[in-house]
Amino acid sequence: MTETHKIIDIVRILFAVLGAFVVLFLFLNHAEQIDTPLFDYFTSDFIAETGAQNSVAAIYLNYRVFDTLFEALMLMVSVMEVINVSWANKHAEQYRYEEDELNRKNNSEIVIRMVGIIYPFVILIGLYVIINGHVSPGGGFQGGAILATALITRYLVYPNFDLDLHVLEKIEKLLFLSIVTTPVLYVFMQLQPANTDLSNQIYMILMNSLIGLKVFSGLSIIFYRFVFYEGR
Amino acid sequence: MDFITGEIVGILLFFIGLYGLMTKKSIIKTIMSMSIMESGIYLFYVTINYVPGSVPPIGQQGDAPFVDPVPSALMITAIVIGIGVTAIGLTMFMHYKQKHGITHWSRNRN
Repeated sequence: MTETHKIIDIVRILFAVLGAFVVLFLFLNHAEQIDTPLFDYFTSDFIAETGAQNSVAAIYLNYRVFDTLFEALMLMVSVMEVINVSWANKHAEQYRYEEDELNRKNNSEIVIRMVGIIYPFVILIGLYVIINGHVSPGGGFQGGAILATALITRYLVYPNFDLDLHVLEKIEKLLFLSIVTTPVLYVFMQLQPANTDLSNQIYMILMNSLIGLKVFSGLSIIFYRFVFYEGR
Repeated sequence: MDFITGEIVGILLFFIGLYGLMTKKSIIKTIMSMSIMESGIYLFYVTINYVPGSVPPIGQQGDAPFVDPVPSALMITAIVIGIGVTAIGLTMFMHYKQKHGITHWSRNRN
């Protein structure tokens, strides 16, 4: 019994090592030079076509906006799964948390003071990264993650569960609806004014803010569910 | 140390994750292996087609060539999807553990 297990383990290790060597060999020894038509197309005239200074923002908000739509759908589905397929939903009576025990449980004074100082700056840099996403490195996803960090630091200071996650989930669904409708109307159906210089900028800022708020609400729902429901 | 590039480390990380998926029986370690495979893919994609001396693709193009923006734009979405997949896996693991009391794929832990 153990002999066969050992042999199977050795076969697995050999398979992984052999696969790595084959892929590395193929990767290091390919000689053909492939053209980069997508790279040339996306970087040739993106400022005039999309109004974004940042080529990455131009790609994920205008050229390849389908990616963003399905990424937003994917995040929303995972949030719905985290909320609904949870053991703690049906067995909530076992999961009552004691408010007095949680309140200020093993929190150091230094952390509380420092987080209180840092907190507004974290929110500020998150909003800055979101709004300047199309002219500088940044965008909705990164800024949303920074905003969610602000909520996580709030948990360090005040570890009580006073957020209504259902409201956040509803907000996220509404944001997803507007994330879908905005590019469909603006990019696919071309409902644009004649001079698109200003409207392109407005579209970029609007989409980045919507994506940032959606990622923020999704990540904070996942964090609070894991801390207060799954982790007990 | 010229051969340690991002692509090679990414491929090695992918196969380390694949080895973990094949051998480990703990469900948590399986989810961790999936995350390691994802990180290998991100590293491979963000370093692919890199020309030394190129600049970030922001603003008007000067003398230096642009970095390829396509893999970066793909990986931005892939990172968020990776977070979603990990969250789904951990939630399903917690459900499974509370319902059946099992933390491994089989009862035989060896």
